[in-house]
Amino acid sequence: MPISEQMWLMLVTCFSAVFTSNILLTYFLGMCPFTSVSREVKTSVGLGLAVIFVMTATTMINWVAYHYVLEYFGLEYFRFILFIIIIAAFVQFVEMVIDRYSPRLYQGLGIFLPLITVNCAILGASLFMVIRDYSFIVTVGYGFGSSVGWTLAILAMAGIRQRLTESRIPAGLQGPGITLIIAGLMALAFIGFTGVL
Amino acid sequence: MKFLLNIFEKKIKPNFEEGGKLKVLKPLYEAIENFAFSPAARTIQAPHGRDALDVKRYMTMVIIGLLPCTIAAFYFYGLRLLPMIIVSYAAGGAVEVLFACIRKEEIQEGFLVTGLIFPLVLPPTLPLWMVAVGVMFGVFVGKELFGGTGRNVFNPAIVGRVFLALAYPTAMTTWVATGKGLFGNMFKYVNAPPAAQAVEAAKKLGEVATETANASQAWYSDIIVDGVTSATPLGGADVSAVDMFFGNVSGSLGESSALMIIAGGVFLLMTRVSNWRTVVSILGSAAVMSFALNKSNPDEYMPALNSLLAGGLLFGAFFMATDPVSGPITNAGKYGYGILIGSLAILIRNFSAFPEGVMFAILLGNIVAPILDEIVFSIRFRRLRNEG
Repeated sequence: MPISEQMWLMLVTCFSAVFTSNILLTYFLGMCPFTSVSREVKTSVGLGLAVIFVMTATTMINWVAYHYVLEYFGLEYFRFILFIIIIAAFVQFVEMVIDRYSPRLYQGLGIFLPLITVNCAILGASLFMVIRDYSFIVTVGYGFGSSVGWTLAILAMAGIRQRLTESRIPAGLQGPGITLIIAGLMALAFIGFTGVL
Repeated sequence: MKFLLNIFEKKIKPNFEEGGKLKVLKPLYEAIENFAFSPAARTIQAPHGRDALDVKRYMTMVIIGLLPCTIAAFYFYGLRLLPMIIVSYAAGGAVEVLFACIRKEEIQEGFLVTGLIFPLVLPPTLPLWMVAVGVMFGVFVGKELFGGTGRNVFNPAIVGRVFLALAYPTAMTTWVATGKGLFGNMFKYVNAPPAAQAVEAAKKLGEVATETANASQAWYSDIIVDGVTSATPLGGADVSAVDMFFGNVSGSLGESSALMIIAGGVFLLMTRVSNWRTVVSILGSAAVMSFALNKSNPDEYMPALNSLLAGGLLFGAFFMATDPVSGPITNAGKYGYGILIGSLAILIRNFSAFPEGVMFAILLGNIVAPILDEIVFSIRFRRLRNEG
C-alpha cells in the first residue's frame, strides 16, 4: 500500500478507535482503573496521560516484536506472554527514566505508572493490533487513538462522579455500583457512533 | 420571568379588578396567576421574595412552553396522544412515588415535565406498554438512581428514548402520515398500522421505513449498509422546507411542526427558563456543519435549512438540551455543550447507521457537561491565582 493511503488509513483508524470502537465503552477493557481511579478529575488526568504514553509506545514495540521475532521463529502462540513481559518491562523502564530525569512528573504520576502494567486495555490494544493485521503505521494510529479514547472516557466519568459527591445515591449503589451504571449509560450514547467508520 | 409578570400585571390584571370588564371571573384569574407565580398579594410584609421563580413555577413554564407542540401533535396524529400521555404520567409517576415513599420526602414536580416531554419524542403509533417501559427505565435509571430531581446527570427522557430506540428499533422507526385539512387527525384514533401497511404508508411518504429499521438494528452485527443515511424519516431533500416548517411531515409526535416548537421555545427563552446560549450554539453549529456538508456534496447532504427543520433537532435544542440539571452550569460551558451537541447531531445523522442523531448527541452532551464545567472552573481559578 502506498504511504499516503497508509497515512489516511491511520487517521481513520485513530478516529474510530476514539469514537466508534472506543476500547473502554464498546469493548469494556480497562474497567478496573476506570472504576477505581475515576473519583477525581485531577488523578484521572494523570492516569490518562500515562496510559496515552504507554499504550502508544507498547503497541509499536509489540508490533515490531511480533512481526520480526515471533513470526521469524514461528512462535506466534507465545504472544500473550511476550506482550505482557514487554509491557511490564517498558513501564518499569519508563518509571526509572522519569524518576531520574523528572522527579516532579514522577511524583505527579505516583502509583498510576506501575498500575498501568495491569491495565488490560494496554494488552488488549496489542492483541487487537495482531488480530486485525494492522501495518506499523496504522498501529501507531490505533494505539494512540485507543488510549485517547480511554482517557476521554475516564475524564468524563471523573467529572460526573465529582458532581455526584453531593447526591443521595441509594446506599447499595455507592461507589462501583453507580460507576458501572454510568458506564453503561455512556456506552448507550456511544452506540450512536455505530457505522460512522 | 419579568416579561411575563409585566403582561400579567399590566395587561390582564386590570380587566379582573374592581370595575374591570371581567370582574366576575376574578377567581379564575387568580387560579391562573397562582399556577404561574407565587402571587404578589402575599408579600405585604417581610420577607419579600425577590423573584417569583421556584421549582414549581419553573416546571409550569416548561409545560406551558410545551403546549404548542402538544396541540400540534393532537392536530397531526390524533387522539392516540392522550393515552400515551396518561400512560407516561402513570408509569413514570409510579416510580417517582415509590422512591419518594422510600426516601420519605415529598414528590417533586420535576416529573411533570419529563412525563409530558417523553411521549412527545416518541413515534405516534408506539405500543402503550413500550411507552410505559421507556418512561420507567428513564425515570428509574436516569434519575432516581442518581438521587432524584435536580441530581440527575442524564436527562431522563433522553435515557428512556435511547433505551427504547435500541431495544425496539422497528417500533421506534414506524411512522404514520400526518393529518391534513381543518381538523387533521384531531378526532381520529390512529392505530399502529400492520407491518405491510406501514411499509406502504412509508412509501407514500417517500421513505423506506423497513430499511431504516434494519439500519438501526445494524449495531448488533456491525453491518453497515451504505446509503441508509439517505433513507431517513427526516424526509431529506424530498420534503420542502415549508412543509417541515408548518409540520406537514411525519415524525415523532412533538417534533413535526417547527413553527409550534419555536413558539414554545421562544416563550421559554423570554421567560429565561431555558438559556439562550445553549439553544443558539446548538442551532448555530448545526447550521454551519450542515451548510459545509451541503456545499461539499449537494446531492448527498440536504440543505442547511432543511437540516435544521428536520427531525428532532429543534425540539431537542429548545426543550431537552436546555435542561438546567443535566447541562453545564457555567456560561462558557454552555457554549461548548451546545456546539458539541449541534455538530454531533449532524455528524451522527449523516454518517452513522442511525437516521437521527439528536438523542445520542444530547446524551453525549450530558456525559461531557460536568467535565466542561470543571475545565471552565480550573481556568477561572488559574486566572484568579495569577491576579492575586
